[in-house]
Amino acid sequence: MVPLSYSVRNLRVRATTTLATALGVGLVVFVFASVLMLGEGITRTLGRAGSADVAVVLRDGADAEMSSSIELPAAGLIMNAPQVRRRADGRPDAVAESVVVIILDKLGTEGVSNVAVRGVTDDVLAFRPSVRVIAGRAPRPGSDECLLGASIRGRFRGLELGQSFEVKKNRRLTVVGIMADGGSSFESEVWIDRNVLAAAFGRESVVSSVRVRLASSGAFEALRSSLEGDRQLAVDVKRESVWYEEQSQGTSMFIKAIGLLVAVFFSVGAMIGAMITMHAAVASRQREIGTLRALGFSKKSILASFLFESVALSLLGGALGATASLAMGLVRFSIVNFASWSEIVFEFAPTPGILAASLAFAGAMGLFGGMFPAARAARMNVLDALRG
Amino acid sequence: MTTAYREPEKGDPLVRLQRVVKTFHRGSEDLTVLDGLDFEIPTGSFEALMGPSGSGKSTLLNLIAGLDRPTAGKVLVAGNDLGAMNDGQLAAFRARHLGFIFQSYNLMPVLTAAENVELPLLLTRLPSAERKKRALIALRVVGLEDRVNHYPKQLSGGQEQRVAIARAIVNDPTILVADEPTGDLDRKSADAILDLLVRLNTEFKKTIVMVTHDPAAAERASVIRRMNKGVLQ
Ligand SMILES: Nc1ncnc2c1ncn2[C@@H]1O[C@H](COP(=O)(O)OP(=O)(O)O)[C@@H](O)[C@H]1O
Ligand SMILES: [Mg+2]
Repeated sequence: MVPLSYSVRNLRVRATTTLATALGVGLVVFVFASVLMLGEGITRTLGRAGSADVAVVLRDGADAEMSSSIELPAAGLIMNAPQVRRRADGRPDAVAESVVVIILDKLGTEGVSNVAVRGVTDDVLAFRPSVRVIAGRAPRPGSDECLLGASIRGRFRGLELGQSFEVKKNRRLTVVGIMADGGSSFESEVWIDRNVLAAAFGRESVVSSVRVRLASSGAFEALRSSLEGDRQLAVDVKRESVWYEEQSQGTSMFIKAIGLLVAVFFSVGAMIGAMITMHAAVASRQREIGTLRALGFSKKSILASFLFESVALSLLGGALGATASLAMGLVRFSIVNFASWSEIVFEFAPTPGILAASLAFAGAMGLFGGMFPAARAARMNVLDALRG
Repeated sequence: MTTAYREPEKGDPLVRLQRVVKTFHRGSEDLTVLDGLDFEIPTGSFEALMGPSGSGKSTLLNLIAGLDRPTAGKVLVAGNDLGAMNDGQLAAFRARHLGFIFQSYNLMPVLTAAENVELPLLLTRLPSAERKKRALIALRVVGLEDRVNHYPKQLSGGQEQRVAIARAIVNDPTILVADEPTGDLDRKSADAILDLLVRLNTEFKKTIVMVTHDPAAAERASVIRRMNKGVLQ
């Protein structure tokens, strides 16, 4: 085998070309790694809306609260399951809520868009301690007052502190408070009294979901098997954190798909860069190739040597790109989340798997870019090569 | 690796060419450089091949060295029929039997003297320590034990050629081929190289075939053959 040091030192000798080519590969790997990190970040950020000690119960087969309905008696049964934590007053630490979507005029741009409206009970803020009223006050129970998520505040007609909007024709609600929840998807909702929602939408006898706080984290499996095992209930039980992660998968996959498409597109350029560099290397070292062949090195070992050189070159670029992408961990990114129709702030989340995939991607670029030049080197006629 | 060679038998001439024809195709033109050449080199000989440019000296040397195959006829080296071998077998043959000395040295610029000399040994099963030891011995034979870690560009032309000779002998080849080994050197360096070749022939019993333009170089060989238009005289 041609010594690896031969390839590595040749890369070092033409440092400028090597660096320029590596930077091309590095740029692609940077995009590749950043996109995967963003996808991962989206999953994590959306997952943040859920807590691990809360279980969400939905109608069997429903993947969103909007498409789920549970009869009130069943909801009462679920809330009183033995695995549910009890509050100081002995009542179960649980909420049953209805979620509907209404259409409102957007401000600033033409057109209308969807807003999620959650019918909540008066213990909602106690159940979700991370939600804080940051302006105004909490609504009075049973009234036509509502609480507005901070991230859609001012983005729709009537959705502003002190203003009012029609939740249904001739059913006007007033915004008396603004709530925040660390950027979670609750900030994209309007919370109104559940009974008001029920009356307005004719949903007196059902709710969309039941959330229960588990007596202990380990109680989840027992709760799930007992509720899902009850055919008459016909419900799905999920950890809230897992459920939100699943919901985020669509958005996350979309971002990843677009990003990977861009990365693959640019990788063609980087591969051509590697190919040109390696072609030049082969051309300028013809005589050396001829000499190695004369000494008895096989065509395969010449092929391997130049492929190795190309892969090493690309891995250098991959390492640069992956390292640079780690700096994206400091960046916050805001995009529209398609699950909740509102802007959500995401972070780039690096994982060892993403870094490994980035290096593998770089290596693959080197392999494909180096393939033709290496094959040309290997196929060269010995005497022609020796003549340089 | 494919190994199609066998060891030379006693009484065999080391090199035997039988009615060798070599024709080059250049576009639509055919150029027959060697036309039915018969030629033998006995083991242990140091032969100089002289003749005008274009007379076919390098062509003949390349056939003996297994770098090319004859168009017709047989090239037998150490009992191997080179014309019947494929590229892989020829490579293995060269690795085992040949030592190359080129006019322009052909060292790898990024490798040190010792690493250049070690190259042919990478095709053997020798462990690294043994390879390094042998490379050092070869460099000592050519008088460059104090230039082991120098890169080619840190050496003079004569020193470079001595490193190349160390590389040519390190795998103890059956035959050394040299195409104008002193062509790029001044008289003094050339003489040192020729001294070395003579020593390799007499002291180490190496068979040497050397193509040269230089009558003074040819004088140092034991046999001088003259070539004209593809015919040995
Ligand atoms: N690969 C080749 N293709 C075509 N013609 C060649 C090739 N190699 C050598 N020749 C021709 O063969 C003739 C002999 O060349 P060569 O053996 O190199 O001569 P010498 O070494 O005696 O100067 C020259 O006319 C040369 O142009
Ligand atoms: Mg010649």
